[in-house]
Amino acid sequence: MDADKDNANPTIINPSDLPSRRRSAPTAKRPGIFDALAPAYPSLADPLSSPEASSDSASSDEEREEIDEQEVYDLISTISDPEHPLSLGSLGVVKLDDILILPPTSPRSRISTVRVLITPTTSACSLTTVIGLGVKVRLVNALPPRFRVDVRIKEGTSRTADEVNKQLGDKERVAAAMENKSLVNVVNTMLATCE
Amino acid sequence: MSDIELYLFEADKNKMEAQRVATQSAGRLEAKTLKLIDLITSLEPYINDKDDGSIRAKSVTYLADVLSSLPPRVLSGQERRLLCDFILGRIEGDAEGIGASARALIALEGLGKWDADTVQKVLRTFIDNTHPLRQFKLQTERYALVQLIDLLLAKYRDALRQLHESDHEFMTGFISYFEGEKDPRNLMIIFSLLQVPMTEWDIHACAQDLFDSVFNYFPITFKPPPDDPYGITAQDLKDRLRDCIAANSDFAPYAFPQLLDKLDSTSMNTKRDVLHTIQACVLGYEAKTINLYSVTLWDALKFEILNVQEEDLALESLKALGLIAAKFAETAEGPLNAYLRPVIKECNEHLEDAPTKQSEATGRILHALAVSGPAVADKISKGVLPVLFSLYNGSQSITKRRGLLDVFNHIVAAYVELDELQPNTNTEALQAYANDALEAMIRALVNAPKAEVSFRLASLKGLTQLVSTRNALSEKEGERAVDTITDMVLHEQFEGHGDIRAQAIKALTDVAHSIPLVVRDRSVPAFMVELLDNPSEGSVLAPVLEAFAQLSTERQIFDTIALRLKNKYGVARHQGAPQQYQRSLLLALLYAFTFGAPMREDGIIRSAYYTEYAEPLLTDIASRPAAEQDHSTLDIVGRIVNVLLRPQGVHFQSTVYNKNLQWLSSAGKDEMLAMALAPFTLQYYAGMKAEVADAEDIVSVLKAQAHLALHASSDPVGVSTVLRHLSLLVNKFINPKTMQATLEASGIEVGVLLSATASSQAIGAAFAVVKGLLIQGKSGALATRYLQALLDILASEGKDVARHFATLLAPDDILSKENHCLVSGLYKQKIFNQSVPFMIDAVRTADASIKPNYLIALSGILRWLPYSVIEPSLKSLIAPLLQTLDLNEPAEQEVKASALIIFESLLMHDPTIVAEHTASLVTRLLNSTAGPANKADVRAKALQCLALAPRQLKREAVVPYRRQVVKRLQACLDDTKRSVRTEAVKCRTAWLGLDEGNEDEE
Repeated sequence: MDADKDNANPTIINPSDLPSRRRSAPTAKRPGIFDALAPAYPSLADPLSSPEASSDSASSDEEREEIDEQEVYDLISTISDPEHPLSLGSLGVVKLDDILILPPTSPRSRISTVRVLITPTTSACSLTTVIGLGVKVRLVNALPPRFRVDVRIKEGTSRTADEVNKQLGDKERVAAAMENKSLVNVVNTMLATCE
Repeated sequence: MSDIELYLFEADKNKMEAQRVATQSAGRLEAKTLKLIDLITSLEPYINDKDDGSIRAKSVTYLADVLSSLPPRVLSGQERRLLCDFILGRIEGDAEGIGASARALIALEGLGKWDADTVQKVLRTFIDNTHPLRQFKLQTERYALVQLIDLLLAKYRDALRQLHESDHEFMTGFISYFEGEKDPRNLMIIFSLLQVPMTEWDIHACAQDLFDSVFNYFPITFKPPPDDPYGITAQDLKDRLRDCIAANSDFAPYAFPQLLDKLDSTSMNTKRDVLHTIQACVLGYEAKTINLYSVTLWDALKFEILNVQEEDLALESLKALGLIAAKFAETAEGPLNAYLRPVIKECNEHLEDAPTKQSEATGRILHALAVSGPAVADKISKGVLPVLFSLYNGSQSITKRRGLLDVFNHIVAAYVELDELQPNTNTEALQAYANDALEAMIRALVNAPKAEVSFRLASLKGLTQLVSTRNALSEKEGERAVDTITDMVLHEQFEGHGDIRAQAIKALTDVAHSIPLVVRDRSVPAFMVELLDNPSEGSVLAPVLEAFAQLSTERQIFDTIALRLKNKYGVARHQGAPQQYQRSLLLALLYAFTFGAPMREDGIIRSAYYTEYAEPLLTDIASRPAAEQDHSTLDIVGRIVNVLLRPQGVHFQSTVYNKNLQWLSSAGKDEMLAMALAPFTLQYYAGMKAEVADAEDIVSVLKAQAHLALHASSDPVGVSTVLRHLSLLVNKFINPKTMQATLEASGIEVGVLLSATASSQAIGAAFAVVKGLLIQGKSGALATRYLQALLDILASEGKDVARHFATLLAPDDILSKENHCLVSGLYKQKIFNQSVPFMIDAVRTADASIKPNYLIALSGILRWLPYSVIEPSLKSLIAPLLQTLDLNEPAEQEVKASALIIFESLLMHDPTIVAEHTASLVTRLLNSTAGPANKADVRAKALQCLALAPRQLKREAVVPYRRQVVKRLQACLDDTKRSVRTEAVKCRTAWLGLDEGNEDEE
């Protein structure tokens, strides 16, 4: 069975080393253990204020949290690799540093671009196209329409990079691929682990 | 007609009647009105009927029925022998009614024990004349036969073993006798009876046949038919078959190759069965047998762990590997070495390219083996640790080092577990490398870049485990470990590198459980250095205090921690340190008493703590004027007093009560001071038992609080504290019999409060009183009347009153059993029944202008009720809940959120109820996802509900909305809040998934 795989024993990144929003957030901001000691129950005078409402949403509800690289990373890092029961993030196929959000090119345009570079686990990985397709489908479904999704293979990491990039860049070929039932099934299994 | 004629006449038509005839014959035999010889003679023409086999069979059945109905001691020994010979004699010539013959023999055996000769003859006759069993088509006939044989094997072991030993051919016939049986009921008995020869007889010569006769059934794929009356499950069969396979070491040469062959199966269930059976075999077979197969087993089982297909298969394989090691650990060293040699060799190879899937698996394998016994752990350590540390020292790669440390941690974890099972495990082999490991891990924690989270986490974990392993570290080394972790806790506060600080605190508390005294002598002073007496306003010491307080969970250092905190608070207060810091110190003390491990006497916190800790705080409060009282400090002090006071006995509490009575009652007379002290007095009275307080005192307290509630114009928090105090007094202290009179005397009778021109304070007080009464459940009629009064004013008052309904059931840490309050078991159901149907009706009939009042009040009640209480009325609740989602004022966001939570549970548990409202629900949910009219948590909750729809409702019900939903959710993907966007993605994925597999239809 192992012989079928392009890379039977890839290096795995430990989950705690993966980039996450919590990891980079400063510790001090999180609620301390003492906060729970004197809980703020809805009081009689102010009946409908619950603890959650008073702590975060009320004050900052209007503030906009922009879609950033970390958010894009969170969307695609949980996709499963088609041949290992592991996530693309833990295999290092998608990396935070290889995600780039480009603002609209002209002031009149609303269209931003998300560029994702994929690093296959080996340069001969035959499933690179499928992985790219999965990432693309995930982002098209999960990002608002004002983003153009550009998924490519990172330069120098795959022998078939040019070929694959051409396929992924071509709207019609992507659409045609998604008409192919067996391909759709593979992509769906990959995406099944996404939350 | 003779009995037999009657019986034959009825046999086919009326089983019950036939049975009765047989019982009657038995009765006559017993009464001696019928002789056995006459009964047998009367059978003759039928039992020997030449033409009709079924008549012969029925005659035997008659005989069996008669014998089964006979009480003991009716037949003499000789008669029984004769009958036995008669039946056996028949079998030789005629197999008709064989099941009945077996039943007759079972009955005979029940009437008196057999001797060895009879037993052997019976079994012989059956094996010789009725072989093979499968010739009988009726399951019931075969069932009777197996039952007979099972009976013989159960009761006459020696006689049958002699039969086997005297005749070597016997076993062949016996084994093949059962061949081809398929019925689960019969198989259950056959598997069980075969275990007698398997475990007790010398079956070396026919081991293969015997093994094959049962292994043919492996793996069991039986599925019980629906409503199977016999209740035999596949698992029952599997269990018995497994016991057979594991019964005798002589099976090993056949069992292991075939089992391992089946381990390659593609069916996960088969693999699961194989692994369970291998485990059973390892346990059942002798060590010297397992020795022959240990390496073969390792070679096969390791793949399940190195390349995990299903997690449970890996776990079972690990268990099997551990069992093999445990088997040898009990006996000789040779087999253990032979088994571990290839394991260690391969594991060492996998270490070379750590961290990989294989190296992770290696850690699990080594752990599973080492944990099976100290001897195994010792050999593993000696075999693996030298390689591991030479690789560690030879590599500069942090990821590689982390992978190696992970494996090391697995081995140490095994030592920790072993030590828990049997203290004083030999840790010599580990000790040899403990210092290397300690140095490496301390270096990792101190010097490695902070961004290498997993490396440092692995080191932290290893350090904790090393400390927990007795004797692994010297005292000096233990101190270094503690110093390192303490340093991390104290000095790594403000940088965001994962959760390492939280982990470090946890590690330090774990270490405190292992070596409390070292922590007391090293960490506590270090903490005290950090905790200044009078820090400047800006410095943030709360994280240090939090960590320090958590150390109090170790009993042996609790007193040290508490005392230091108290002293520090004294100094800080004396020097006028910032209020915030003083409060944090008090909170740390409160944390220690609430979650820590204070000394207890008979399960109760020692009363001395109250005297030493709470009393000085109380005296301090009593000595200050109103202007110097700090609201939140008082709250914390109140909580400390409460937690220390409430478990104490009546006697102790009375002393405390009387001591404080005077200053408290004089403070109660001063409106300013009473208001200022409210947070403290609330907690103080909450801790007191009802019988401690004097009734008259309480009435005056109630009056004072009522006055404050109705007249004092203070901040909302202060008012709410006073109102909670009212609820507490009403619930706990006031005699239910004189409740209404007492309320009237204090000016808070609900009827009066709600009269015509009720102020907002009066309404608040009314709700507080009703809440206390409802939870108490002792003044049922009064509470019901008051609740109805509250419901009635909904028709005339504004939404503010409606909002108050949410307070009735809101959780309240004051009104609890721990605070000696009266909490009725069914008060939630009661409130539900008394208010919800009324409001559902009102929503239906009310004017559009006041309808929102009812909707808000209804949701205020519903939001705190467990789903099980709401469940029976869901059908009638859906309409009002849907209308609630239409409320669009900003103030109604909470109401909407609670309606959405109910819809969420509804969709989870009872989707059929919402099914007919799909259209209105989907539309309203979509509307609720739009900002900024809806708050972020409402938007997120609406999306969560919407995501449940395609999963929980029928496909055809939701498909029509797919296009619309998917389109409108695009807007949610661009929501301003990240958390809402995350939900939108999940929701959209759920709806997009709807069209899988039906492209043809669209």
